[in-house]
Amino acid sequence: MTADHGRSMIEYIGQKLLRRPDTRIDETTPLISSGLIDSLALVDIVLKLEELTNLRIPAGKVQAKDMDSVALMLATAVRVGKPKR
Amino acid sequence: MLPLRFRTLPAALFAAPPDKPFVTMWRGEDDVESVTFGEFTRRAVQQSGYLASHGVQSGDTVVLIMPQGVPLMAAFVGAMLLGAVPAILAYPNFKAEPAKYRFGLRGVSANLKARLILVDPGFPDELLRELTGDRDVRVVRCDDTVGSAAPADAPPAIDPERLAFIQHSAGTTGLQKGVALSHAAVLTQLNHLARAIRLDAEDRIYSWLPLYHDMGLVACFMLPLACHVPVVMQSPTDWVMQPAMMLQLISTYRCSLAWIPNFTLQFLARRVRPEDRLGLDLSSLRALINCSEPVRASSMDEFLAAYAGAGLRSNVLQSSYAMAETVFAVTQSDVTGSGPRRIWVDADVLRKRRCAQLVRHTARSATCLVSSGRLLPNTEVRIASDDGAELGPGGVGQILIRGDSMLDGYYNRPDLTAQTLKDGWYWSGDLGCLLDDELYVIGRKKDLIIVAGENISPQDVEEIVSAHPAIYDGRVVAFGRYNPGLGTEEIVIVAEVREGDDLRNASAIDRELRAAVGAELRVGVGPIYLKPPRWIVKSTAGKPARSTTREKLLSEHAELRVAET
Repeated sequence: MTADHGRSMIEYIGQKLLRRPDTRIDETTPLISSGLIDSLALVDIVLKLEELTNLRIPAGKVQAKDMDSVALMLATAVRVGKPKR
Repeated sequence: MLPLRFRTLPAALFAAPPDKPFVTMWRGEDDVESVTFGEFTRRAVQQSGYLASHGVQSGDTVVLIMPQGVPLMAAFVGAMLLGAVPAILAYPNFKAEPAKYRFGLRGVSANLKARLILVDPGFPDELLRELTGDRDVRVVRCDDTVGSAAPADAPPAIDPERLAFIQHSAGTTGLQKGVALSHAAVLTQLNHLARAIRLDAEDRIYSWLPLYHDMGLVACFMLPLACHVPVVMQSPTDWVMQPAMMLQLISTYRCSLAWIPNFTLQFLARRVRPEDRLGLDLSSLRALINCSEPVRASSMDEFLAAYAGAGLRSNVLQSSYAMAETVFAVTQSDVTGSGPRRIWVDADVLRKRRCAQLVRHTARSATCLVSSGRLLPNTEVRIASDDGAELGPGGVGQILIRGDSMLDGYYNRPDLTAQTLKDGWYWSGDLGCLLDDELYVIGRKKDLIIVAGENISPQDVEEIVSAHPAIYDGRVVAFGRYNPGLGTEEIVIVAEVREGDDLRNASAIDRELRAAVGAELRVGVGPIYLKPPRWIVKSTAGKPARSTTREKLLSEHAELRVAET
């Protein structure tokens, strides 16, 4: 994972998913546990993560807590991601 | 096929063909657990031995807090085999604050007078620490490798009128309202339901619904158990992260039935990528039953348009009105017909005179109502005005229900039972009307907010928000607002700050309130409006007037009105 991946995720979440668009987040900001984004947005996060990393993320291997910050999302992609077929 | 020939749920299970598939729990491509009825029965017997070894006896209540899966289901039936009364509670997610979770758990187990709380091996220690010191309740970690595995040839003798299980509604207040249901009531409901949906041995159910909710527990666990039908399951979290998998599993396993809350239709239409829809064959699905939220025509149409190329039957979308207090369904649309009936009524007359007056669908004031279907056998519904008088066809009032598969009462809460169960009629608090024997559910329970199928009490939200140091204690109003983008309601909060200067910290307060509500109720919050002191409208009793405050907020914030229409 590169710093670009982190920046792209932060930008995407800031523009599309945050309940308060004026909130600034970084790689470690808790997102779901803090209520900044809704758990229903997990599907958008998984799809964006797959697009950015070019990996397939098997949902059954991921728990919501694994996606609570951008840093956790990227680590999860490394841990469970599989090359796209 | 029909379960009424059995006197208890364990008797129905023991009569199942042992080699027939029962539960397929799908967690991932390389993580699928499948058990037959015979294997499931063996594991349930094993669990009953384990529970008995920890002192559980007939009549005891047992709280189960485990992730969705076969061990939870086997423990549930295992408790029943002992004549004990199981109750499933939601597994804590990572948003739960330990102190608050412990407090809630202690309250529920005290109300249930639980003998034992069974948790899975991975349950966080910090959430149990104080409970294990409580002398009245034992906390045990599930271990399905321990206990008697001896096959049992016959189900235990249990009086059908005894309690089978307790199901709770969501929310902290709701947790105090355990709905106590007898074997006889549950089997009677399952019999009516199986007939209404024309269930047969070839059916296969799909579900992502949590087992602590009546839709997941009754329609997708008790019904297949008693009628010997397979069920393919996912956990709710797995489904949310990969909603397309629901349709892929239905396609792969040739599932024929599923129950869903309304928002699911829109979620599937908008959040599944077009490439993930390729190759889907949904022709096996004969009924996708919209239940537990008001049924919306727009959500149904959006789903049908999005999956037009997947072989869907034209009448696949069906509807039902259901609640824990009647075990499950009160009504069901005709699954052999062309789909739930739609009518167009005058929106102004509906709102102001509380009457469903039919108009042409092209009329300017026309609003569409979708029927929840017709009453199940031996079920009666009355529509009552505020003063209790029975209303005629089209009159909108509170829905009262009487039938042969009702709750015995709220467990250990005679006060709540007396408030809602009068002369055999259950006062649902929901608003609706009857027209040509079809029930139209127009409003939800008084003030209740339904977020993605979860019932949220506004009082619970208001209490949490009031606890924030910057918020004027008690000057908070929460209500639900339909969000067309989500296809479900979201929570709107308006709260007064203690000092006008606190509004300068609005962003931080907003963030803290979201975290607090999420930690306790495990739902996200929509817009939060922080207002200066004395903004909220109070009633003559000095309490915040919810509906008047809501109207004031709508009049000041145009963005809320857009979503209301």
